[in-house]
Amino acid sequence: MVSQTRREFLKLGLAAAASAAAASGIEIPLLGNQNSNLQNQLNSANTQVTNLKTKLNTVTGFVSLNISEQSLLESIVETIIPSDSTGPGAKEAGVIYFIDRALAGDYGQSANMFMDAPHNPPRTPASAGPLTVKPSTAWAFLQNYQQTAYLPAGGGGGVGAANPIPYPGASRTYTAGGTNYTVVYGVTASPRVGSGINYQYPVNMREFWRISLAALQAYSKKYYSGNYQTLSSANQLQVLKDLWANTPKTQTNPPPSDFAYELTFMTWAGFLMDPLYGGNQNMVGWDYVGFNGVNFGNFYGEGLDQKTLMVASSPTKLKPASLAQYQQQATGGA
Amino acid sequence: MSTVIQETPVDVVCLGVGFMSGVVATELALAGNSVVGITKGPYWDYVNDYSTTKYDEWGVGLGRKYDSPLPLQSTTIRNDSSQFALPVRRYTMPIQYHALGHGVGGAAQHYGGGMGRFGPWAYEMAKRTSSAYGAGFLASINPQDDTHDWPLTYAQYEPYYVEWEKAHGICGNYNGSPTNSSSDVNYPWMSQNYPLPPHPMTPLAQLFQSTVQGMTAPNGQKYNPFPSVSALSSQPYTNQYGVAVNPCVYDGYCGGLCDYACETGAKANAAYRTIPAAIKSGNFTLVTNAYIYRLELNPSGNQVVAAHYYDAQGNDHRQPGTVFFNGMWGYNMVRLMLLSGLGTPYVYNSGTGTGTGTVGRGLTNGYTPYRGTNVSGTVNIGGNSYPAGNGSGGGVSVFDLMDDNFSHTNISPPFIGGGLFGAGGYLGGGPGNITFAGGVSAPNATNPNGAMGSAFKATQQNKYLPTKQSVGATPFAPDLPTFMNYIDLDPHYTDAYGDPVSRLTYDWTPNTYNGATYLVNQIKAILTQMGATSVTVGATVAPYSAHNDWWGHHLRGGLRIGTDPNAGTATAWAALSGYNQLYYNSNTSGFNYFAAGEITNTTGNNATAGTHAAGPQSYRAAEGIKKYLANVATNVNYLSS
Repeated sequence: MVSQTRREFLKLGLAAAASAAAASGIEIPLLGNQNSNLQNQLNSANTQVTNLKTKLNTVTGFVSLNISEQSLLESIVETIIPSDSTGPGAKEAGVIYFIDRALAGDYGQSANMFMDAPHNPPRTPASAGPLTVKPSTAWAFLQNYQQTAYLPAGGGGGVGAANPIPYPGASRTYTAGGTNYTVVYGVTASPRVGSGINYQYPVNMREFWRISLAALQAYSKKYYSGNYQTLSSANQLQVLKDLWANTPKTQTNPPPSDFAYELTFMTWAGFLMDPLYGGNQNMVGWDYVGFNGVNFGNFYGEGLDQKTLMVASSPTKLKPASLAQYQQQATGGA
Repeated sequence: MSTVIQETPVDVVCLGVGFMSGVVATELALAGNSVVGITKGPYWDYVNDYSTTKYDEWGVGLGRKYDSPLPLQSTTIRNDSSQFALPVRRYTMPIQYHALGHGVGGAAQHYGGGMGRFGPWAYEMAKRTSSAYGAGFLASINPQDDTHDWPLTYAQYEPYYVEWEKAHGICGNYNGSPTNSSSDVNYPWMSQNYPLPPHPMTPLAQLFQSTVQGMTAPNGQKYNPFPSVSALSSQPYTNQYGVAVNPCVYDGYCGGLCDYACETGAKANAAYRTIPAAIKSGNFTLVTNAYIYRLELNPSGNQVVAAHYYDAQGNDHRQPGTVFFNGMWGYNMVRLMLLSGLGTPYVYNSGTGTGTGTVGRGLTNGYTPYRGTNVSGTVNIGGNSYPAGNGSGGGVSVFDLMDDNFSHTNISPPFIGGGLFGAGGYLGGGPGNITFAGGVSAPNATNPNGAMGSAFKATQQNKYLPTKQSVGATPFAPDLPTFMNYIDLDPHYTDAYGDPVSRLTYDWTPNTYNGATYLVNQIKAILTQMGATSVTVGATVAPYSAHNDWWGHHLRGGLRIGTDPNAGTATAWAALSGYNQLYYNSNTSGFNYFAAGEITNTTGNNATAGTHAAGPQSYRAAEGIKKYLANVATNVNYLSS
């Protein structure tokens, strides 16, 4: 339902965008019969459509994703959390709107990230090579100011403040409890994908997504003979698995696995975070996983007490409540 | 250059306003001294700020909307001194716990409230280990060993623990000491019980308690279970400063993965326990949104005369004082001293495997390695899962696998210490769990498509309505201080004002892993006795086979107190050696803050015990400052007394 609304938006903007799309070779699925179906639906007077119109004005629509990204990302999130016999998926939850808003806001702008240079990607032992990095101006100042031993501790070398500092990594052998352990340290730590020290790119998240989505589409075209949206479900999943495995060699910066993490992470977040952020619409994600949201046992007059629920030995399924609902109830309605 | 704004001189300047400064500011203000507290964040009002907007996994857990902004200040981390240290770029699991607090109360805005005492052994670990297992034992199990004892014993700290627990309304019922007398040299006996009773016990906690009560611990005695100690008030309470405290409302958005702030103020925090009394005294001035960037020394360099900070408009302030108390988060505290040229910076020599200096020395970790030898089983007890249960209540713990409460002779691989094992905390791990806690993983043997596709999706259906639960642990023994783990200044990255950020050089020490190899089998026996099914011990994880890439949340050490001035400060009052009017204290100071190796179970029941052990030291520092102020005019060397 929501997805069709979005497609209608897309349709309306299509004429203006068509030439640009054609020039860049981006394929936009033409919706054909869906349009008349949608018109019929919109013209009917049932409650669903009333709700839909409200949503049309307030929730759906895009503020960041471009036309080709909208279409591609919709297929991706629906691959990660498909709508199936067990229940609704990314489509019904409006995951793509959650991601769109995130990309337009603090997340996309990397507003709460530390983005200063230098940007050196993690180097594991396997890809080791010596790294030589120039000190900051502040470092040079401090050394002059303090006149003390504020030098890189241990193995850093480089006394002169302006001298680049070499980082060779090391192979060390330690003995503990009578056992020798040989440890090979690369020129940086080896963070896991998704770790806070893993993202070492000089671009913000919005750009990271733009670059990575385009690379994903290019990979799909080259190795799976078509746009991602046109692939079979199995191949769509396989493309994402290829990213996790860093199979696409045409794209090494950023590594595909970093984007696979981000896609999976943001898709699940869009399915399960509070509806205020644009996803988890109608709380279908919470309903699926059995989470109560902000229902502490009596939101709908169930007469239960959370302190009691917390020491129960079996679960109690409640109808979830959202943050907005909670606030409206707390303030006597809005 | 803008004009420096001169502030009125005061008796005591508190740098940072968290747990430790809360105690010092309140004690000194109530004693009639003028006190200023300076914090880089706001003074959160729990009702106004949290009661409608905290139920937000996205904003709190990932956005860290109540926490310290990374663009203002980050830190860099590496495992070895030969490596380029990568800056922390973002808050996300598996590194979300790097998040620091922001404002009055500091990191206590978002902890779980675990507050167990350290045991007597922890305070004299080096001496006792040498005595029990030989003079060379520590060095033989801990490469480049740098372990030292505290300046005082548990018995000497005990009265300060009592004051700390009264101030913060700690809940519990003793600590499992069989005799609870001061002659007990192994367990943290108490001269007074905790001021508040424990939280209601979960069915799993009851099963755990009744099971271990009938079991023999490795020391040959029966296990001594006790309610998990919690800093979330279980009842209405008024502390010794007249500050009234609301009880926990069990909303399920508490400690754990997303680290929720508390909308009733039940979660102990300087903002709602001590600072209100300091303000009410009329002797305390709170300066918020102020970023301290330097301490100014006198010309001879042996006294601090002022703290310099920027206010929210970028104005430069100079705050003079007689005494300075550094109550910042651990590595911020070390960083400010290094930036100001205070004390002797620690310098590591990888060639000799030793180091010189004290400021930055002895960094340790008080939390489980993310990948260690583990044990788990399944019990048929269900319930409702909340985002973060109630941070620390509802469970039961045993101290019998802790410290030297069992013989370590002839255990292979050898180790010292042990862990606090607990079970049965309120069920946490809400939906944010899958996004924040490493739930988004690459395709693997268990999930061939990773967290993607219909098969994985099906595993999430009704996940938060469990009818059974996994119980187990990734235990670890104490991470021991070593010369190779330390804090210094980063040569490449700076904060928003252009000063170098702190750099952490840290990797887990062998004791953490080797202890796990022994402890998993003790826990396996308990789980089996509890009737858990499919009890399985995972593959042994060897020392140095995994390296740390999550940091910050339970780091300890870096500026230690003790009796050896070459390894830490020489005073037992927490004054910096050579600077008798600069006191410091935080979660990460102290020789033995590493000693409470916790064992966590799947409900995330771990103790923020480093804070609890620092607490008594803050009372000790307050006492030292009072003595100093009383004698400063006559220049009596009170510190020798």
